[in-house]
Amino acid sequence: MARRYRVRQMITALGFLTPFAVFFVLFLIVPIVQVVIQTFQTGGLSRRMSFAGLSNWENVFNDPVVYRSLENSVRYAAIVIPLVLVLGFVVAMLLQRIGRGSAVFRAMLYFPTLAPVVIAGLIWLFLVDPDFGAFNLTLRAVGLPPQIWLGNTDLALPMVAALEIWRAVGFWALFFLATLISLPRELYEAAHLDGAGGWQRLRHITLPLMRRAILFAVVLATIYNLQIFDSVFVMTDGGPAGTTQTVVWYIFKSLFSFDRVGFGATLSFVLLFIILVLTLVQMAILRQRRRA
Amino acid sequence: MATADTTRGRAHTDRPRGMLIRFRARPAVEAGPVSIAVSYVIVAIIALACVLPFLYILSTSLKESQLLFQYPPKWLPIPPYFGNYERLLFETPFPRWVLNTLVVATAVTAIKVVIDSMAGYAFAKMQFPFKNFLFVFVIATLMIPFATILIPLYFTVRGLHLLDTYWALILPPLANPIGIFMMRQFIEGLPSDLENAARLDGVSEFGVYLRIIVPLIKPGLVVLAVLTFLLQYTSFLWPLVATNTDEMRLITTGLATQRSVWQVNYGIFSAGAVMALIPITVIFLLLQRYFIAGSLAGALKQ
Repeated sequence: MARRYRVRQMITALGFLTPFAVFFVLFLIVPIVQVVIQTFQTGGLSRRMSFAGLSNWENVFNDPVVYRSLENSVRYAAIVIPLVLVLGFVVAMLLQRIGRGSAVFRAMLYFPTLAPVVIAGLIWLFLVDPDFGAFNLTLRAVGLPPQIWLGNTDLALPMVAALEIWRAVGFWALFFLATLISLPRELYEAAHLDGAGGWQRLRHITLPLMRRAILFAVVLATIYNLQIFDSVFVMTDGGPAGTTQTVVWYIFKSLFSFDRVGFGATLSFVLLFIILVLTLVQMAILRQRRRA
Repeated sequence: MATADTTRGRAHTDRPRGMLIRFRARPAVEAGPVSIAVSYVIVAIIALACVLPFLYILSTSLKESQLLFQYPPKWLPIPPYFGNYERLLFETPFPRWVLNTLVVATAVTAIKVVIDSMAGYAFAKMQFPFKNFLFVFVIATLMIPFATILIPLYFTVRGLHLLDTYWALILPPLANPIGIFMMRQFIEGLPSDLENAARLDGVSEFGVYLRIIVPLIKPGLVVLAVLTFLLQYTSFLWPLVATNTDEMRLITTGLATQRSVWQVNYGIFSAGAVMALIPITVIFLLLQRYFIAGSLAGALKQ
């Protein structure tokens, strides 16, 4: 009897899981297995796939563009992350200080986060236009020489990074604000009574209490920003002179421009490895938080 | 931290209801009026900087293209010129892209809410072999960046002869397991009394799910639906790869791939960017609370 009940429940569970499982297996598990196979294959969209041994790995590690795209992705993340997190943190603290009446500001700050990255990139294209873009009009108004923002090898990557900073600052501001509000008030009141100034309270109470939230934000932002693609695709498509080629951009191009499936799959695997390591770091941080 | 997070060692991301952040708490130490005023001004400037580019593109879209090159620039388009919108709507495939985007995002959202809540229910309330292993396995796949499976997924969909169809856009996103996680957390907290009472009354398992569980988790379903719709509306890389004709493009991929063609015509282009933002703005204003909570959870995936 009990056994029949168990079997029946298993069948019911199977029924409830199957609709999701079909898509999960077909569009996630199968591709993952396939990417592993493809790292040992060569071929393209029109060419047949054939066994290639370890030559893909050799090619990936000997390709200067792989190193350049890794370097560009890291440089991009290194520009975006410190600026966007510090700015987000400062805005969060200011919002907390304002307290009432900050609802309109929160909505304004959050709005760019909602825009599709591609649309944000298109808007940015208008702002940086050499002829009528708002940036150059401003420079002209104060008497400085106009710039060809995206045609300059020193400026192109920072401009793409600037887009992301503008887009994400509100997101991080609200993320930090949510954490700030949850901090125990008693500590601040006690510190205030003991005569600790605002700066001291920040250094000795807020920052230590927020350590894990900040670490979490750093890892999350790193994972996200290392995968930059959309804005590069619409704004520069890797140029000028390869200064905005990034890892995901190169994976995309491997398939659709260079027709090198095995090579692209292998590069995807390198990206997977990097992201997995970062995710494990993130999970370690979360576990620490739970124990605390 | 003496929050509910610590109970049973769950991550703080559970209880989606709790993600609807309340911002009302007053600061523990009241700042002086001067420092509040200064904070106010700084925040106002940054908030304005966040919105100005949108106003700039709005103003651009309401000007004739030749006027853009005027110096000194005319910032306000008075009187407004609607020719760009007229041409966008009647001379380009843009309306088709809007339709495609709405069809795809709505279909993905509708299917996902159903299949994810069903699977979440199974993981939350039913007993079956390897349950925990399967759940951890499904959730662990969240770590895989989408770019990793981009190339093999393209081959899978090509093998099914679905490239450049609605199916290519609708089906692959259904594999994303973030909703399973959310739904399980939601359903796990519900008491089982009602379900058992219904079973004793002879209600079928599916009836229990439909008439007991679904009404109880409505807030969670709304969060999942908003999150899914937003992710679909903004998604780019997969739709770019999965379609190649102008008729099958979405708003994002359509505008991006027409960039080189339309760049000569700035007006139409800016009108397209403005129109792309209208649906999102409307939903944002209606569901502001859900949106912010939803995309905080969405960041975990991205």
